[in-house]
Amino acid sequence: MNGFNHHAMLPDPTHDEQSRQDFVGALRGHLSSRLMPGAYKVYASKVEPAFKAKHGRAPADQEEVRKVMTQDPFYQFWSAMQRRSQEMLWESVIDPTERQLPDLIGKARKIGRKARGKLRLDPKLEIPRYHRAADIHLQPGGYHTDFTADDIAAGAVYDKGINLYMGGGLGPENDLTGNTLLAYVREKHPGFEPKRILDIGCAIGNSTLVWARAFPKAEVHGIDVGAPVLRYAHARAETLGVKVDFSQQNAEHTDFADGSFDLVLSHITLHETSRSALPRILGECRRLLRKGGMTLHLEIPRGRTAMEKFMHNWEAYNNNETFSRFMTDIDLIAEAVRGGFAKSEVKTADFVPQLDVAQMNYTEYFAWKILEGVRR
Amino acid sequence: MSEMRPPEFPKGHRPQVFDDPAIDQLHDAWLALATELAVAFERIDTLERLLETKLGVAREEIATYVAPAAVAAERAQRRADLAQRLLRPFREFRAAAIARGKHAEAPPDPET
Repeated sequence: MNGFNHHAMLPDPTHDEQSRQDFVGALRGHLSSRLMPGAYKVYASKVEPAFKAKHGRAPADQEEVRKVMTQDPFYQFWSAMQRRSQEMLWESVIDPTERQLPDLIGKARKIGRKARGKLRLDPKLEIPRYHRAADIHLQPGGYHTDFTADDIAAGAVYDKGINLYMGGGLGPENDLTGNTLLAYVREKHPGFEPKRILDIGCAIGNSTLVWARAFPKAEVHGIDVGAPVLRYAHARAETLGVKVDFSQQNAEHTDFADGSFDLVLSHITLHETSRSALPRILGECRRLLRKGGMTLHLEIPRGRTAMEKFMHNWEAYNNNETFSRFMTDIDLIAEAVRGGFAKSEVKTADFVPQLDVAQMNYTEYFAWKILEGVRR
Repeated sequence: MSEMRPPEFPKGHRPQVFDDPAIDQLHDAWLALATELAVAFERIDTLERLLETKLGVAREEIATYVAPAAVAAERAQRRADLAQRLLRPFREFRAAAIARGKHAEAPPDPET
């Protein structure tokens, strides 16, 4: 469906389960392409003029937009359906995963015995509060909870779930974010050949694999705090014929040696952390870089106008992206400097991908934010 | 490790969109209903296609089917039963309102 590569670690849906997934995909596409743009029209034609008539000026920021837009019936209708569609998305994937879980765990164990890449879990790792406080993206149980021995359910659910989330827009192997950053490297740093690569907050390794394939001679590592997503990432990578070493670690303080990587990456991960964790993570990235090594972080668009910022932050208030709203106007360069980078070592860039409006969810204008740091 | 399964509902704050939480719940319910309708349509479509390829029942034959009188009567009864079940909450509200005398001008409901 929607060009997705149905590999061996994904559960096979029944006829009705497939219909449910297809429907929620179609519903989300409709919400994004037909209803979401209406919120901008309602704002421009009704909500903003009413605000101006009352206050003699336009809303100054996204918080002022929030106060009036959340009272608008059209926005309320879209928002209620957007929220429910997110829950339905997970439910449609959880059913087939739960039904086939013993088989999938068996498959992962078998793959693990003959694996080329390593899997290193740390049951003593303290899961950071930003993962425990709420289930990110509403995935029930979150990405870090084991509900049975050698659980991989959170990973399998996430893999198919994020495919539905963007209507297939994340690519055949959910590899859009990896490919986007790779395209940036190829364009801005042609000839860069990293020998050791680290992907932080890698979840199921969907972006990590892009780098392992692009640089087949490199040693590639992926870390995450979630054990079930890492077990799944490991089995998935091996199934797809790619060697990556996965380990369960907190990106704020890893056990890798100083200067041991040429390239340290994150793909739409930073906004899932916290105000105190963010500079620590960026500082840790710098510690891990050799001289001349590079760190790259791909972040989601935040919007240009107050209305765009408000719409992007729908996820902050309705999809358990609790830190996301603090990222709206954050100065990533200043955060990197707080973490230990020199100001001259870091810069940011915008990158506009080719996406259909049906895959965008909250905006008609979409530009990734990229933070680049080079250790001098 | 003991066998537990993930929670039914995600941990975290659940936003309330409408002033009356009942409207939020109604939205959630009708979207679930719409999903199951889509599932049922696809199952019917699968059945029709299998009937056509395996048993030679043309889809056109289904589309132009006219129910004989006995079948039509059975279907009419089923529709009436469905309406009865679906409208139960409304009848209950109405009966309660009449009992409180709020709608004294309303004609007596033949179904209550």
